[in-house]
Parts: sequence; structure tokens; C-alpha cells
Amino acid sequence: MYRLNSGFTLFLSLLVEAIPFLMFGVLVSGLLLLFVDERRLLQILPKHPLLAALAGSCFGFLFPVCECGNVPVARRLIMQGASAPVAVGFLLAAPTINPVVIWATWTAFRDQPEIVVFRVIFSLTIATVVAWVFSAQADLKPFLQPAVALAMPKPLVIPPPSQPPLLQTGTFFLDQPGQPLQIDPVTLQATTMPACPLPDAPKITAWARFRMLLDNSVQELRELGGVLVLGSLMAALIQVAVPRDIILDLGQGPVTSVVAMMTLSGVISICSTVDSFFALSFASTFTSGALLAFLVFGPMFDLKNLGLLLTVFKGRAVFYLFVLISQLAFLLTLFMNFWLS
Amino acid sequence: MTLAKRLSQVSPLLPDWMDTLALGAWGVLMMKYWLTGRLGLLIHPNYFGLTIGAGLLLLVMTGLNLQKLLRGKPQIGVRHFTLFPPGWMSMVLLVSALLGLWITPRPFASETALERGLQDSALLTRAQPQTFRPNADPAARSLIDWVRTLDVYPEPDAYSGQPVQVQGFAVHTPNLPDAYLMLTRFVITCCAADAYPVGLPVKLPQSRQAYPPDQWFDVSGQMVTETLDDRRQLVIAAETLQGIPAPRNPYAY
Repeated sequence: MYRLNSGFTLFLSLLVEAIPFLMFGVLVSGLLLLFVDERRLLQILPKHPLLAALAGSCFGFLFPVCECGNVPVARRLIMQGASAPVAVGFLLAAPTINPVVIWATWTAFRDQPEIVVFRVIFSLTIATVVAWVFSAQADLKPFLQPAVALAMPKPLVIPPPSQPPLLQTGTFFLDQPGQPLQIDPVTLQATTMPACPLPDAPKITAWARFRMLLDNSVQELRELGGVLVLGSLMAALIQVAVPRDIILDLGQGPVTSVVAMMTLSGVISICSTVDSFFALSFASTFTSGALLAFLVFGPMFDLKNLGLLLTVFKGRAVFYLFVLISQLAFLLTLFMNFWLS
Repeated sequence: MTLAKRLSQVSPLLPDWMDTLALGAWGVLMMKYWLTGRLGLLIHPNYFGLTIGAGLLLLVMTGLNLQKLLRGKPQIGVRHFTLFPPGWMSMVLLVSALLGLWITPRPFASETALERGLQDSALLTRAQPQTFRPNADPAARSLIDWVRTLDVYPEPDAYSGQPVQVQGFAVHTPNLPDAYLMLTRFVITCCAADAYPVGLPVKLPQSRQAYPPDQWFDVSGQMVTETLDDRRQLVIAAETLQGIPAPRNPYAY
């Protein structure tokens, strides 16, 4: 009975501490959604792939959204013509590199400031590197879901074939004798899809916008709050039900602890605004590298976010993202465990 | 059929009512903790303001939503992509808030202290002290002050013979002999999830069975150096142990 009550106390304390931050994140992202036009921002971004990747990664400072809000914003950015490195950098970094999340992490880990610093550095590094890799793909369209590809502004330019048409694979129409017309499956799929309505800034009154903000906040709070409750429940249960010896064995191994925390972060799908409070309940039993793995990997890739990513990218691109992110996160946090702590 | 669809068949506004009730219940819960002084059991006082503000905001949102629902207007805006069907999350929020209103949280006690490694690292606080203030009057140091002072300069002989008066609760750690107990307090930096125990061994005039675990004591005596559990450490040789009621806020910061 005592264990149950102390588990319940832990559960409530996580929620009471985390809900204000969640509300703050939800309100700010709602305000931006309704009152800021990101198209103007896109025009002033650098063109160089690495700089663009870095700029995209820092975009989160302007759009403090957690991982539930960043995919819709990234989708809008792509539709409005953001380059691949900008969009991917934003997608990966925005949930972590933003003032609300840094503040929440600082609140949770005041005693271990290195966790806050390395969370920012590692997230920024991974996001920039992966975005840079994606910049090799000049035209993102083959990676995108047809509806998103269609909504992109620039017309698709098919590069002139470098080899005779007979040696190429694909679908062709026999247009002129000797000059078959190649059909790009992406373009074809995109043109046959019904156009996705673009969320253009509507001309509405301030009062209507306020009502939309309210409704949007209620819906987001309900969804994210629900996941937060389930996540806190899981954290409390692990603390109360799993014997300390087992947790310590798992949590003190430099490799096992990182793998365990990365898996946990992928499954639990807790919002990045409040995941530091969740990690805090493991602070005394897990290595710093493992805590960082949870804080760095979770916001970039988890079960909840997988569904969202698949609304923008095709499975292949999502798989590339997963492989790149998980390897980088694993190596960086392992480095932390072996050399920095 | 999803829960949300089933609910909306009963009344098209029912899912909206559920959302509103769930948020309202959380607002009430946060206010209740504040007004009954229980917030201190859950989080560090630095963050009281945030929680109270969030509670108020939740109540305001609930009020605005209620006003709209009573006029019969449904929510607008896009439905977000979600991992679970929408009706579930309102239920999860509502049930957790109702449980919170029903069950009163209790402060942690000796079982948690042992579980969170009181024996492994009894003489370590996690905060790196920024300043070292050798308190002019050792008897004025609290238990936490003593532990922090020891963090900075751990040689026990430096403190031998100094008078001491501290409060904390009794923990019967298995690695101490029968005539000793660990006087303990929890330190929190953010919320109860990161509460960790710190303590000093107390040498008792008789078997510790006379001093039940979890009971709070005001201990006065003087510091001595002893070898316990194969380690030279500072021990409070108790002259008086006075049972006291648990303080309203049991944590130290």
C-alpha cells in the first residue's frame, strides 16, 4: 500500500510540474500558427546546404513547437518551398532547440547543467548533419507523399535524360517516333491526387482567431496531456514495480543504459516539452549518456511521431531518417558515457 | 466504432463536454493542492507560481468552453493526428484528475529512502555548492547544511566535538548496527520524482527499536568520528532524541 501511494505521489508530482510547461508550449505554438506567416521567413534563409541546415535547425527558436506540432509546420514549410535541408533541420531540431523546451530541461536538471547543454549540442549536431545529408537530394519530391509533393510551389523539372530512353526504366508514352515521353510516377501520382487544401492565412477577425486558438489549445492539451498522463503512469510504475537492482544493472552499463533509454523514448512518445521531467525520475539510476539519449532521440523519432512523419514522407525516407538519427544519437551519447562523464 | 464516434452519437457535443470537464478537473485539482498546502509535497516552491497560473488558466479555458457549449456551439479547427482515438485521451485526463482529487498524496518515508540509495551515497548532495559558508554556530546547521558542509570538506575529525541540533525522520538502514539509526531528509530540486535522501548516522543510547522508522525526531548532541560499515564517518552522538510531529513541508531544498 505504501509503495502504491508513493508511486501515486510520484505520478502526480510529474504531472503537476509538467502541465504548466505543456500549456505554455501549446499556447505559443497555437499563437504562431494563427498569427505568423512563415513564408516571409523562408525568403531570407541562406542557400548554402550546411548553412541552410543549421538555419533550419534553429528555426525552432521562432516556432517553439514540440514534436507533435513540428510535423504540420514542417509540412507547411515544404509546401511553401523550403529547401530540403531547411525542412529536415527544422523537423528534427525544433522540438528540442526552442526556448520552452530548454527552459523546461533547465528546470528539471538544474543540478546537472551538463544535461541541458549537451541536449542542445547533440540535437543541433544530429539535426544539422542529417539535414545536410538530405541536401544531397536536391528535389525532395520522390521522398514525399504525393499530396505534399503536389502542393509544392515549383513545377517539377525532369532532368534531360543522359542516356538513351531505351536504357532507362520507367513508364513511357510513345509521343513522337523515337522520342518516348517518360512518366515520372511521383508526378503522375501527385496529379491524380485531389489537391490538399493549403492552410493559407485566412482573413478572419481577431475574436474568431482567439476562438480558434482556444479550440486548438483544448484539442492539443487533451491529446498531449493524455500521452503525458500515460507516460507519467509508466514512469511511476517502473519506479515502484521494478526492483531497484534490475534498474541499476540496466542503468549503469554504458551501452545497455543508452539502448534501454532510446527504446523507452521511442515507445513512450512523450512530448518534448515535458520529457525532461520524465527523464528526471531516472536521473539517479541511469547514466548521463542514457538520459541524454532519451532527451535527444525521443523528440526526433518516436511511435507517435512516426505516424505524423508518414503523412509527409514516404516510408523509404522515414527509414533513412530513423537510421541516421538513431546511429548518431547512439554514438554521441556513448561518447558522452565513455569520455565525458 | 471508436469511443469518440459512440459518444458523439449520444450527443454531438458530448466529446466537447468531456474535453471541457477533463481540463476543468485538472484546474480544480491544481487549485486544491495549492489551497490545502499540499503543493509542497509534490514540487519545489520555485514552481508553485507556474502550477497556480496553469490551474487558473485551465479554469478560465473551462469557463470559456462551458459558455460556448451552453450556447450549443461545437469546437472548430482541424482534428490533430493522434496515436489514440480522441475520446480516450479525455477519459485518461478526467480519470487521473478524479483520482488525484480522491487520493491524498503522502510524503515519502523510509522505504523510499532506502530504495533511492540512502545507504550507497548517504553523504552526497547533488547540488555543487557554489559557496562554502563555515557556519559560525555549528548548532544552527540543519541536517542538509551538515551534509553539504561534509561534501565540501569530508574529513570527519574536523567536526568532532562540535555541538549539533538537527531534525529528520528515522530510517533503520540494514548496514548500521542496532544502536544506530539514520536521521534522514529528502531533498528536492524540481519535483517529487527527483527527491533523494540525505542523512547522518545517529548513535543512540539504546537499541533503535525504541525509535520507530518514519518517526520525526529533534536530535541534539555532539559530533564524533566512528568507523561504521568499514568507513570512517561523522556520527551524531545523541544526548536527547525528542519525537516531533512531521513538519508540514517535509522536504529540504
